Amino acid sequence: MSTTIRMPEVLANVTEAAVQKWLVAPGDAVEVGQPFAEIETEKAVVEFAAETAGTVLELLVGEGDSIDVGAPIAIVGEAGEVALPVSPAAAPAAEESDGAAQAAPSDPESGSPVEEVAAPAVDAAATASSAAGALTESTPASAPHDGGRRFVSPLVRRLAREHGIDLAGVAGSGPDGRIVRRDITALLEGAAAAPAASVPAAAPAPAAAPAAPAAPATAPASPAPEGVEVIPHSRMRATIARRLTESKSSVPHFYLTADCRVDALLDMRTQINAGGKVKVSVNDLVVKAVAGAFADVPEANRTWGDDGMHVHASVDIGIAVSLDDGLVVPVVRGVEGLSVSALGARIAELAGRGREGRLKLDELEGGSFTVSNLGMFGTQAFSAIINPPHAGILAVGAASARPVVVDGALEVGQVMTVTLSADHRAWDGALAARWLAAFVARIENPLSILA
Amino acid sequence: MIEIGCNQPYSDDMPQRRRLDTTAEWVELTTTAADWKKAEPALLATMLGQLHLIRAFEERVLDLAGEGLVHGPAHSSIGQEGGAVGSIVALRSSDAVNGSHRGHHQFLAKALAHVAQSGLQLDALVTSDIQTVLQKTLAEILGLAQGYCRGRGGSMHLQWFEAGALGTNAIVGGGAPMATGNAWAQKRAGTTDLTINYFGDGAAQIGSVLESMNLAAAWKLPVCFFIENNRYAVATRIEESVADTRLSVRGQGFGIPSWRVDGMDPLAVHLAMEEAAAVMRSGGGPTIVEAEVYRFFHQNGPYPGSAFGYRTKEEEAEWKKRDPLDRVAREMQKRGLIDEAGVESVRAQAIAAMDAATAELLEADPEKQGRRRIRPELWPDPEFVDVGVRGDASELASLRVLEPSVSDAAREPMKFVDAVAGVMERRMGEDERIVIMGEDIHRLKGGTNGATKGLADSFPDRVLGTPISENAFMGLGGGLALDGRYRPVVEFMYPDFMWVAADQVFNQVGKARHMFGGDNPVPLVLRTKVAMGSGYGSQHLMDPAGVFATSPGWRIVAPSSAADYVGLMNAALALQDPVLVIEHVDLYNEKDEVIAGDFDYIIPPGTAAVRREGSEMTVISYLSMVRHCAEAIEQTGADAELIDLRWLDRASLDWETIERSVKKTNAVLIVEQGARGTSYGAWLADEIQRRLFDWLDQPVQRVTGAESSPSISRILERAAIARTEEVVEGIETVRRNAGGAA
Ligand SMILES: Cc1ncc(C[n+]2csc(CCOP(=O)(O)OP(=O)(O)O)c2C)c(N)n1
Ligand SMILES: [Mg+2]
Repeated sequence: MSTTIRMPEVLANVTEAAVQKWLVAPGDAVEVGQPFAEIETEKAVVEFAAETAGTVLELLVGEGDSIDVGAPIAIVGEAGEVALPVSPAAAPAAEESDGAAQAAPSDPESGSPVEEVAAPAVDAAATASSAAGALTESTPASAPHDGGRRFVSPLVRRLAREHGIDLAGVAGSGPDGRIVRRDITALLEGAAAAPAASVPAAAPAPAAAPAAPAAPATAPASPAPEGVEVIPHSRMRATIARRLTESKSSVPHFYLTADCRVDALLDMRTQINAGGKVKVSVNDLVVKAVAGAFADVPEANRTWGDDGMHVHASVDIGIAVSLDDGLVVPVVRGVEGLSVSALGARIAELAGRGREGRLKLDELEGGSFTVSNLGMFGTQAFSAIINPPHAGILAVGAASARPVVVDGALEVGQVMTVTLSADHRAWDGALAARWLAAFVARIENPLSILA
Repeated sequence: MIEIGCNQPYSDDMPQRRRLDTTAEWVELTTTAADWKKAEPALLATMLGQLHLIRAFEERVLDLAGEGLVHGPAHSSIGQEGGAVGSIVALRSSDAVNGSHRGHHQFLAKALAHVAQSGLQLDALVTSDIQTVLQKTLAEILGLAQGYCRGRGGSMHLQWFEAGALGTNAIVGGGAPMATGNAWAQKRAGTTDLTINYFGDGAAQIGSVLESMNLAAAWKLPVCFFIENNRYAVATRIEESVADTRLSVRGQGFGIPSWRVDGMDPLAVHLAMEEAAAVMRSGGGPTIVEAEVYRFFHQNGPYPGSAFGYRTKEEEAEWKKRDPLDRVAREMQKRGLIDEAGVESVRAQAIAAMDAATAELLEADPEKQGRRRIRPELWPDPEFVDVGVRGDASELASLRVLEPSVSDAAREPMKFVDAVAGVMERRMGEDERIVIMGEDIHRLKGGTNGATKGLADSFPDRVLGTPISENAFMGLGGGLALDGRYRPVVEFMYPDFMWVAADQVFNQVGKARHMFGGDNPVPLVLRTKVAMGSGYGSQHLMDPAGVFATSPGWRIVAPSSAADYVGLMNAALALQDPVLVIEHVDLYNEKDEVIAGDFDYIIPPGTAAVRREGSEMTVISYLSMVRHCAEAIEQTGADAELIDLRWLDRASLDWETIERSVKKTNAVLIVEQGARGTSYGAWLADEIQRRLFDWLDQPVQRVTGAESSPSISRILERAAIARTEEVVEGIETVRRNAGGAA
């Protein structure tokens, strides 16, 4: 009796993932909890542990192949059940053992490609006079894996892009389940009639599919105008677009701005760094000050949930890290308990792995608040979009010498402008104002940050 | 009566034996003191001047090679100048030379003889014309745009038509067939001009040379096979390669009068060439001159051969004593024609000329102290890389186009093969330049298939039945094409024979235009017939389209009907490029039709014909397979669009029609009959997926024959090739890939 291992839903709202690296091989005995595979989503690489003990009978997807969450990736059985050498038989067997109830959002007619594949062989055998090479590109003899990589003809890929058609639920009727022109004819007609509609006409996705991805952030694209090159979205780009669009359109943002006098903060940083051992950045101090503000105004450490207000025990702060083309927000947990230098080291370490795409899933989840600092680019002030489920985000600008009035007299001081974006569902204006005042107080009295 | 053999004692129990003799003369020519005394002072002065100019040139090339400024090998002629100078000094500009990899000296001698037709003045050696020759030649060797071949040819491909330098060759001996073709044109044009083909002792063993000797002798062509016997082929000694090292002995076998001469004695070479020229200019046919020479350096580069251990320093020292420059100077001094200082001045002038040429091309390298570099602005533009692979076909602009598939002109019934002969007869009648050649094309009522029926009767001197030497007669055609006075049409009885002629087909004819700079056209038609189904087996039944389509320079037509054949052959004959015309034995006896009374239109490149419109798939084919496709479409009821390519090569393919169709159908089936390996469709499929990837709903599907060549056995032959049944299968494959099965 074998068990089908399916692509785990490693991250909320992730509909697609890939096995980046198999950590087991067919024939290996596995125990519950043993590392099974490294799963790559658009955000992170996550180690996936076995949930079933047994012997690995077959790995169903290749490394790097992106498949739908829920699709079978491996079969684990009993040691005696020697792995079947050829895939076609294995896949249906796995289906049986698992029952139809758990149907994954994969091609519903996994059987049909098998037939398709068999057909050419029969034909060839039947045609006695057939020249050996006459059928030049013969269809590969192996059957597709249910829910394995989806094959889409180049034409369909282009049409889907141009017409904003979502192929997720489309059943492919070409060889190996390839989605071919015929499979989207109806969709194309639909798209022409009502551009917004994206209901798969051919075969609806099974109900058990994870939450269908939201409609793409962009309107259904018309063919690119002359002089414009269309570069397909990376998974990360698509996710950023989806999540931030969702945030900006569904989270009621409001904004508060404050100027902070940071001469003392900068002096202190210089002193710390002169000590030689550790180097801290302005950003490290800002993040630590954020934690301090939450200590001062503990009731602010809460986030909106549909089920109720989520009140957080520790201060977990997301740090926006920019990548070459994209952005990740790893979360530093328990900032209140970290020294500035430990915090700095942690941020640097997370940012480094973030840039390499090697963050673990739990490092990207949770938290109640984000810090986004564009100061290093010289930006004076900006406002940022909240990173759900956080309640707020602090947009930090560059410190610069500006005229300030001190005791009625004009002098030059180092000033840094910060803008707080807050989720009005979680925070009211007064709460936000108190929190921001606490933050400014910490920044302007930097020793309080270290305390 | 018993005749006794001259050197066999008679004995009763032996068969009768008689020693046979060849009729060809074979002499060794040496100069005497009297010859040197008799020689014209102007001749000696010119030879001395040329020898020194070439020597200084070659020394400079070696210097630059040592500095890393010559890309690729520079095969030095130092030591061998006497053979080239002695044989070329008295030639006319309309006489021609070509040669091999070691060809600087021949090229320079010919160019100098051309620009200084009344000889050289030793006190004012370097005229501005000569300076230009030196600089342009050096520039070519350095690969620079101002070179004779715009830098494309370099050291091994030097061509200057006006001077009668037909182009040197990096395929040793590869120039022999072309030289023979040039001689054919000279003779046919009624001139007394001649052509010399230079090659080495190593190259003397290659088929091209031997085939050409035979062809030239059979047809009495004014070509001299000039063997520079320097005893070594790279590092292989001549004794290792041949039984009789006196290579001029070959003339005995071919019936060619031959001279053996000391190549270190330029006057001896000159006198031998005078005698040989007299034979050639008077219609006596080809000659062989073997000059014993010695290259002072190794194959290439500035080191002596002894440094590589295949010959001794002593041997080199012996030969150096016979330096042709010294020999001529000494003999002139004996006669008081020049003194030591005069010789020194000749050398100094030659070196100064090379200094001046070098200064024009090089400058101090700003990045490397004390080093020189090529002036950057002199390199060819990288954009030039593909220019001139073929011509632009503008020569067709004034010709009348007719599209048989839409023309409503009256038809007349005609067998395909009669249209083949018919259009050729028409063109030969209109255009005296056309000459056709091939095996048996002049006999058997139009060759083995009747494709040249009637031509030998109408044009007896322009229908040339060739000896069985595809390389030689293909190259002879190439030589004619380069010369330009005639339009060669070469026939290969079967396509597979291209392999024995591959050097001439691909290295010479296909590349000549581009390699020598892109300007000099090679108008030549090569006809051949695909014979799959005829039982001729593994070595006769290929389809050559794929090999030609993936080789540079050629255009290809493959007509599927008689009316198309007429238009395509007319275009092929008018084009300034080599064109392969593929016929098929299955079509020859089809009862076809042609436009009544009209053999004069063309079907230009870039015009495929849509034989059937459809939306389900695009079926692309050519030649006889077009009919099989039509049948298969009929049988399957597929709504296929059938494209008959007609023009197959990269430059002439009708991309517009293909693209329009694929964008409509999103599925492609390429159909051809022959073996999979050398298939045409592989190339086309690659292009299609590259250009039309986002329009394809399935892989480009193909119908081809098997991997093997078709066997003699009827059943195995059928199994190895594609016909209607295989196209039906192909169509079904496309359908399966189109999905939609419930
Ligand atoms: C068909 C062919 N085979 C081999 C070569 C490589 N190759 C270049 S020069 C050479 C030796 C030629 O010897 P020879 O004909 O005696 O001329 P030499 O170099 O002595 O002037 C060889 C083998 C070539 N260029 N072409
Ligand atoms: Mg040699």
